[in-house]
Amino acid sequence: MSAPTTDDLHAITEQVWLSYLDPEGVNPFLPSPDAPPSPHVIAAVSVTGAWEGHVVMTFSERAAELSSAALLGMGDDEVTPDDIADAVGELVNVIGGNVKSLLPDGSLLSLPHVVTGESAGNTRWPAAVEVCRLQGSWQDEKIAISVWTSKSAGEGA
Amino acid sequence: MALTQHEFAFVSGLVRREAAIVLESGKEYLVEARLLPLARRTGTVSVSEFVARAQRERVLADQIVDALTTNETSWLRDREPFTAFTDSVVPDLAERRGPQHKLRIWSAACSSGQEPYSLAMLLEESVRAGKYEIIATDISTEMIERAKAGRYSQLEVNRGLPVPMLVRYFDRVGTEWQVAEALRRNISFQKVNLAAPLPQMAPFDVVFLRNVLIYFDLETKRSVLRRIRSLMRPDGWLFLGAAETTIGIDDGFERVVAGRASAYRPRAATTAPVGATRKG
Amino acid sequence: MIIVPTAMIIDDSRAMRLILRRIVTQLGFEVHEAGNGKEALDLLETVDPMPQVALIDWNMPVMNGLEFVTAVRSQERYRQMTLMMVTTESEHGQIVRALAAGAHEYVIKPFTPEAIAEKLALLGLVPSGIV
Repeated sequence: MSAPTTDDLHAITEQVWLSYLDPEGVNPFLPSPDAPPSPHVIAAVSVTGAWEGHVVMTFSERAAELSSAALLGMGDDEVTPDDIADAVGELVNVIGGNVKSLLPDGSLLSLPHVVTGESAGNTRWPAAVEVCRLQGSWQDEKIAISVWTSKSAGEGA
Repeated sequence: MALTQHEFAFVSGLVRREAAIVLESGKEYLVEARLLPLARRTGTVSVSEFVARAQRERVLADQIVDALTTNETSWLRDREPFTAFTDSVVPDLAERRGPQHKLRIWSAACSSGQEPYSLAMLLEESVRAGKYEIIATDISTEMIERAKAGRYSQLEVNRGLPVPMLVRYFDRVGTEWQVAEALRRNISFQKVNLAAPLPQMAPFDVVFLRNVLIYFDLETKRSVLRRIRSLMRPDGWLFLGAAETTIGIDDGFERVVAGRASAYRPRAATTAPVGATRKG
Repeated sequence: MIIVPTAMIIDDSRAMRLILRRIVTQLGFEVHEAGNGKEALDLLETVDPMPQVALIDWNMPVMNGLEFVTAVRSQERYRQMTLMMVTTESEHGQIVRALAAGAHEYVIKPFTPEAIAEKLALLGLVPSGIV
């Protein structure tokens, strides 16, 4: 089984956008090589078992608001911090679940974890290396999606 | 060739009026990507020329709205023709032709392949398992390649495909699903333009021609139906889309009821008893 | 008497319950919601009439969707209820497991509203004309 690639992440992201954030297919996620600035919201799920690692989405503050409003069908000035945590948690859950299907059988998905505000930029994934990354923008706001694996599990199990 | 500002304004105005979808400037690439297959289908050389024609021809404008508002094709979404196919047509033909006859089926506008594969799955689960051949044709080379590849995204397999069929006939390949070899071996794919003289083909028992006639004017509809009739067995069956009919276009067909669907049969054949009109 | 069909949505994500509620409400269903399998089993004890269909996430705390399907299938009184998984679990083997446990249909996340409507139509739970 080969590791997930940026192309895989892009295919999955396109489907998530068409399903929940851009149903008309007129406002897609646009990949770009520019590194995003320090994120304001981080949403992650962990994979354990046969494969060990994390699937992580990072958002600018505005990107998180816009995505949450679109997912929940609310105005983007209406969403509360709880709505954002809920919505970005579900987005990373769906993307993470689809990434898991590319990983060895017997991998398990954790429940999502969301960090917002100042501390988001300090989130670290100790003992893990990045496998692939998709970054770009949606409605001119930065979003990145990355897959990380912990070295020891990758070599040992 | 890129769309001009004026052409883009026409398209965005059209979809805003007809479908309440807002296409902001900067989305020209998206309009071009969606309209290119349409432009090819109608034989125009470029998206620009297609848009120019659509400003005069209402039927093309409708196609633009469709192309920018609908997404994946469904598998068995319009259940009635498929139910009629398995419950009425397949038993009728088995009775007429005997158990060893190989059914010949034509999926005449197969698009990305959902229709011919759906028919193959239904046949594999019927008494005709293995005893059929499906010819799948489309005007677009791109669509024929896609259909032949038999690879579908997660969103596509979610659309009206019963999950027992998904697990039986598809394998997971990366982020996509691949149609199993057992289905593919009875289907052949070929590029065919229905609006031009047809290639030589042996006659068919069943023809699926759904949601194609709506794109043609009356004269073209008439010639398409006549050409298709000449390739059908005299007691064959034709299925059209729910909004389509042969009535008032081609008298050579007669409408018959098959289950809850309408089907069409070459007129001479309908003097014989028709299995499908029986109750049950 | 007009009987309004009911659906039970079982998902730990409030956002996902909201999305599904919107879709099935438009299809004419009344909706009950539960945040995991255990909550759903408890709720089934109290609701009348029994929902025609349950839309079931797989990964949930306390009791997951597969355990819920197994529990429901072990009880004769829930025989009439249609069970449809709606989950990101999308490996071939996982789908087979859910069907073996007694699920009738399966929608993989992400899904469009049409996907839910068409699956419910395949199950005969909404007239296909609506879809």
